[in-house]
Amino acid sequence: MNYPFWDVPIGYGLLMAVIAVVHVFVSHFAIGGGLFLVVTEQRARKTGDQPMLEFLAKLSKFFALTTLVFGALTGVGIWFIIGLLNPTATEALIHNYVWGWAIEWTFFVIEITAALLYYYGWQRLTPAAHLAIGWIYFAAAWLSLVIINGIITFMLTPGQWLVNGEFWTGFFNPTYWPSLVMRTGVCIMLAGLYALLVAARYEAGDFKKRLVREMTTWGLLGLVITAAAQAWYWGAIPATITTKAMQIMPIPMQALRSTVWLAAAIAVLLVIARAVARRLPVVVAGVLMLTGLAWFGEFEMFREALRKPYVITGYIYGNGVEVALTDRYKKEGYAAQIVYKTGDEGTDLFLHSCRSCHTIDGYHALKPAFDGTDRKFITAIVRGAHLLKGNMPPFLGTPAEADKIASYIYARIDQRPLAEICRAEGIDLGPRAYAVRCGCCHMLGTSHDKSKSFAGQSADDLGTMLDNSAALGDGMPDYTGPTEERAALVAYLQTLGKQVKK
Amino acid sequence: MNLPNYEFLSAPLWLVTILHLVTLMLHFAAMNFLFGGLIIVIHAGLRKRWDDPTLLKFVRLFPAAMAATVTLGVAPLLFLQMTYPRPVYAAAIVSGWFWLGVIGAVIVAYYALYWSALRGERTGKVCLSGLLLALAGVVYVSFVYSSVFSMAERPALIQQLYAQDQSGRVLNPATGDYLLRWLHMVLGAVTVGGFFVGMLGRNEPVAYKTGKAYFVGGMALASVAGIAYLMSLQPILARLMQTRASWVLLVAILLSLGSLHFFFKKNFCASGTMLLVSMLGMVYTRHIVRLLRLGDQFRPDAYRIAPQWGPFALFLVCFVIMLALVAYMLRLFFGAKRAA
Repeated sequence: MNYPFWDVPIGYGLLMAVIAVVHVFVSHFAIGGGLFLVVTEQRARKTGDQPMLEFLAKLSKFFALTTLVFGALTGVGIWFIIGLLNPTATEALIHNYVWGWAIEWTFFVIEITAALLYYYGWQRLTPAAHLAIGWIYFAAAWLSLVIINGIITFMLTPGQWLVNGEFWTGFFNPTYWPSLVMRTGVCIMLAGLYALLVAARYEAGDFKKRLVREMTTWGLLGLVITAAAQAWYWGAIPATITTKAMQIMPIPMQALRSTVWLAAAIAVLLVIARAVARRLPVVVAGVLMLTGLAWFGEFEMFREALRKPYVITGYIYGNGVEVALTDRYKKEGYAAQIVYKTGDEGTDLFLHSCRSCHTIDGYHALKPAFDGTDRKFITAIVRGAHLLKGNMPPFLGTPAEADKIASYIYARIDQRPLAEICRAEGIDLGPRAYAVRCGCCHMLGTSHDKSKSFAGQSADDLGTMLDNSAALGDGMPDYTGPTEERAALVAYLQTLGKQVKK
Repeated sequence: MNLPNYEFLSAPLWLVTILHLVTLMLHFAAMNFLFGGLIIVIHAGLRKRWDDPTLLKFVRLFPAAMAATVTLGVAPLLFLQMTYPRPVYAAAIVSGWFWLGVIGAVIVAYYALYWSALRGERTGKVCLSGLLLALAGVVYVSFVYSSVFSMAERPALIQQLYAQDQSGRVLNPATGDYLLRWLHMVLGAVTVGGFFVGMLGRNEPVAYKTGKAYFVGGMALASVAGIAYLMSLQPILARLMQTRASWVLLVAILLSLGSLHFFFKKNFCASGTMLLVSMLGMVYTRHIVRLLRLGDQFRPDAYRIAPQWGPFALFLVCFVIMLALVAYMLRLFFGAKRAA
């Protein structure tokens, strides 16, 4: 809370994803593509394969224009955006890992120099010198992954660093090696996919067939390494994280499933490309690229969402709240820690507690979730945020501050009774009341589904339970809404109970 | 909870400061080549003062100069964020959209430079529109950087601006803080650009003469802007003059004049070295101005020092390997050119 809050209408997650996914898609190609170029060149030089050398020269132009400009700049872009979105976590990372980044920078300088000279050197350099620069390029590019992988994986699984604060402990954390192998596999796979896009533009014929077969081999090899290492990666993540994800975090789990389907789709498309190698249409290569991008997008979504509620597991929450300062927050409140103020405490508290993930009526909107509810209910939800689905950070401020956040939200929602809203929109009140009042925790069909306990209960019993639900513990709030909504909710709970019976 | 505290510096402050200043100087050298070179080439192109081959020679180098500018810009920004994270990020957030726009502007400028270079190779003519687009991108970046980094020297101003607008659409309104500094930097870039034009065109009388004109003229105008900027620092000028920075600045000015002397003698090695060291002096002065302006509002020396000597040593080893490999590759490349 030492920083101002950038209040943009776009969700932070979306903003981060747009820059990060595009960057990783290019930067991994920058590594794998370098390996592809130099390995293929070496073979072509040995066999005197002139058409292949001409193809590689063309590919290297595409490679340079893509990786040197877009890849490098979006990498800097990630650095810019994390500083804007979560400056506290960025500050923590820079203080702990500045020498990691500095080491990566030395590889970056080598990489950029080598890429430029390799691209400009096709006509000028001797074959041996050109190959030497190619190998230097690849080594530097891969070593930069070796370094940055330590920092990325640290954020999900800092391991014993949380106890000793040692640089290398955090760097070689539990997911370091599987992630490195997996990302190396991705680099190889993307080398094949990108090169296919260039090869697909060649006229149909034997040479094209040779090119496509070569590249699909790279694609499939990379995919096999990636798939195996992804399973290893999942196994290396502490069970406390994966178990919780499987229980209450639909987003990372959905993303994980998507990576499996998309990997299968890539495999099928690569096989198809191999089958029509002689006349591979650009559209197939294009679809392969898009599928690869989608795979990477889903994987990054999985990795980022799995960290919830943290941005650095066990250390800093996604909203910049620091775990180490828990006692201070509880004692003094959030407001006392906020350095840059807007002049309205409710706004400041909302921005620093909720806004990094939620907008009022845009990305991860709160308005639909709270329309037709009351301030007491919203306050209870704020205070019990960590109990809700999605694994949210806990609210560590004072009760008065939770009330101020609730007032801020309440002033911006539809304050008509839920019954009236439902009538106007033509929706059933019961299910809607359940979704709003209960569904934040008790999603139907999950382990938190309590439908069984409603079976055989009378309307009076259920009504009494609602009115005294705080007594059930676990942060449950009492029912605080109007009577019409209460009756509809009770009726719906009875329906749920009956469905279980059946 | 007994978690590791991140509020520390992983090397002594003096060491981080040296790394910051030296890498910033290198970044400025590359940036000035690009920025100044662009201004000179566009100006010369508009006035049809040069024959095309000389222009093209420079234009071909621009993408590499941009690569060097970006690459060498990463390290000083890293060390700056390590030492001054709070004021720097706070200022960046208040200008969030402009700050993020830097990336877009550099990408556009970079592609425009490649476009100009490739088109120049193909047609043998300078692509003025591409260069103008690139220049617009570079001007944008330089202006936003000046705005944000000068705002970062005034946390109270950041608080005031943030209270008015949280959307990240605010540039530093205290233009008095940085307009002259920005102008000094632009004219300094023209000076350095002039040096490189003269050096690259040393065997072509027209090119050398043009480079000399920009070198001398740029330095004269940059000096005027620099002095005006110093005068604008009234509230802290007296204190600045009491620090070591005043001597460093004096030496830097003398070195700049010395670089002119050697430029006239066509001793570009001595001239360039003096220019580079004088740039280091300016960067140091700039650093002291930042410290004086921040005063007690943010003190990097208040950080706890907890050195990570192992990772630092590895960085040094990698740094030496980087220098060796870059030198080796450049020797391979330019040696091959000579042989060809």
